[in-house]
Amino acid sequence: MTQTPTAATPPLSWDDLAYLPVSDSSFSVQSDAVRQARAQGWCARTPYGLAVLRYDEVNKLIKDRRLRQGSWAWPAHNGVTGRFADWWAGWLLNMEGEDHARLRRLLNPAFSPRALAELSPTFVALANELVDGFAATGECEYVSQFAEPYAARVVAMLLGIPEQEWPAIAEVSATIGLAMGVTFAQELPRIEEALDRLFAYCDAIIADRTANPRDDFATTLVLAQRDGERLSPTELRDSMALLVFGGFDTTRNQLALAMKTFAEHPDQWALLAQRPDLGKAAVEEVMRVSPTVTWVTREALADFEFQGLTIEAGTTVHLFSESAGTDPRAFADPSFDITAEGRVPHFGFGGGAHHCLGHFVGRMDMSVALPILAQRMPDLRIGPGAEWMPLSGNTGAHRLPLLFTPQS
Amino acid sequence: MKVVVDMTLCQDHGQCAIAAPEVFRMDEDSKLVFDAEPDESLSDAVQDAIDVCPVQAIFLER
Ligand code: HEM
Ligand code: HEM
Ligand code: SF4
Repeated sequence: MTQTPTAATPPLSWDDLAYLPVSDSSFSVQSDAVRQARAQGWCARTPYGLAVLRYDEVNKLIKDRRLRQGSWAWPAHNGVTGRFADWWAGWLLNMEGEDHARLRRLLNPAFSPRALAELSPTFVALANELVDGFAATGECEYVSQFAEPYAARVVAMLLGIPEQEWPAIAEVSATIGLAMGVTFAQELPRIEEALDRLFAYCDAIIADRTANPRDDFATTLVLAQRDGERLSPTELRDSMALLVFGGFDTTRNQLALAMKTFAEHPDQWALLAQRPDLGKAAVEEVMRVSPTVTWVTREALADFEFQGLTIEAGTTVHLFSESAGTDPRAFADPSFDITAEGRVPHFGFGGGAHHCLGHFVGRMDMSVALPILAQRMPDLRIGPGAEWMPLSGNTGAHRLPLLFTPQS
Repeated sequence: MKVVVDMTLCQDHGQCAIAAPEVFRMDEDSKLVFDAEPDESLSDAVQDAIDVCPVQAIFLER
């Protein structure tokens, strides 16, 4: 076999990189500026550090252990200490190395595809029940009538919270979500109050399943053990609270983005209605071209060189999932097509050590929901008054009026 | 117990190495290396790795 000589990568200077103002509220990951920067090189400068734009480089860096997950210092950056900061520090997402591995080993079994398979019929019933609420009218406000209750009730189902309590999940999650915003420090009392309510829920479930084990997800989580180790009560509670937070908004937003994508591709929507077996492929394609998590954040642990660029310790690196997912270097025809074969995987669930813990849940609940929606909401159109979040960070819709042809 | 990984599927996420470090590990270049014939005593750990692999690339041949 002949070996192509690999020329040493020429050094790349930060001064030569395109600049992307990712912290501006008007910034969009789908803007021409991002497309031009991606054509020019694999990365760009940002106010925080580096944005990585091409498939190969995102794929390498998302698994590179010279980087750690980038949100761990967020409370400290905002001068926040106390209950919230303690909870944050105990998040799976914010841990690294052996602490992360130990917690993940204990949480993994509850999320195995074998353990989750039996939930599928429940998801079908839930999707149909929600669509029944508006199918005859030919219109709906999709976020409040479908995406939000669906996502919240799936989380409720998993954790064993009574499903009619779902609005509390949505409310608590929205309040805690304020922690991600610029008013974090001012809102802290409200956020901690919501956190207390969430903890109270979790403590009640933990006490109940410890005393009365059942054959369900919550019991698997509560009784998890490995090599004689178990989750401590605090670890359990913190992790359950993170599941609400990591599983609800993401699913709600991803379901809204799916409708946006399909409204732009009516032929694919009609095809999905005819071929519900394409539900899985539909989820993967939606998350490739329109991921709710538009970037994942990493931080360099030490100075290192990558493709000719020197990345200093402490640099914030944003790995752009949508830009990677539509990179023409990886997708010869990047257009949205749920029948396309041989696609390389997208990064909508992240990758590497922090790969989404709940992806089998998200994949299953969305792949069940989308064909049902396609069958029961033909001729899908976006109605007037849609309110979108900025196309950056974690994106989605606040309000999404939809129109369709009611079925007789 | 014989462990098989479909390398055309494997994306080197390293979740198997977290689940069963006795059997799977990531090398210097973050690529998967594994013990194809681990001891039977590790079967629970291997099963956890099989379950957690995001692309479901790990199989058992008994
Ligand atoms: C898996 C758990 C999550 C972690 C660890 C996390 C972490 C963070 C951190 C540290 C920031 C601020 C720093 C940065 O911009 O990088 C951030 C931004 C943000 N997060 Fe989260 N987040 C999570 C889930 C969510 C969820 C479920 C939502 C939905 C409400 C959300 C909404 C946001 C928003 C809206 C921003 C601001 C985005 C921007 O404009 O940059 N996050 N996230
Ligand atoms: C469509 C739905 C979902 C999307 C788009 C999504 C996306 C993501 C992404 C991108 C990450 C990696 C973050 C990073 O590396 O910085 C992540 C991590 C995580 N997700 Fe999800 N997620 C979804 C559903 C869920 C569900 C349903 C749960 C739980 C019930 C969940 C729990 C988690 C947890 C615990 C982590 C942290 C894993 C770790 O650090 O090891 N997610 N998710
Ligand atoms: S978890 Fe799966 S994809 Fe990741 S390294 Fe192991 S076998 Fe490969």
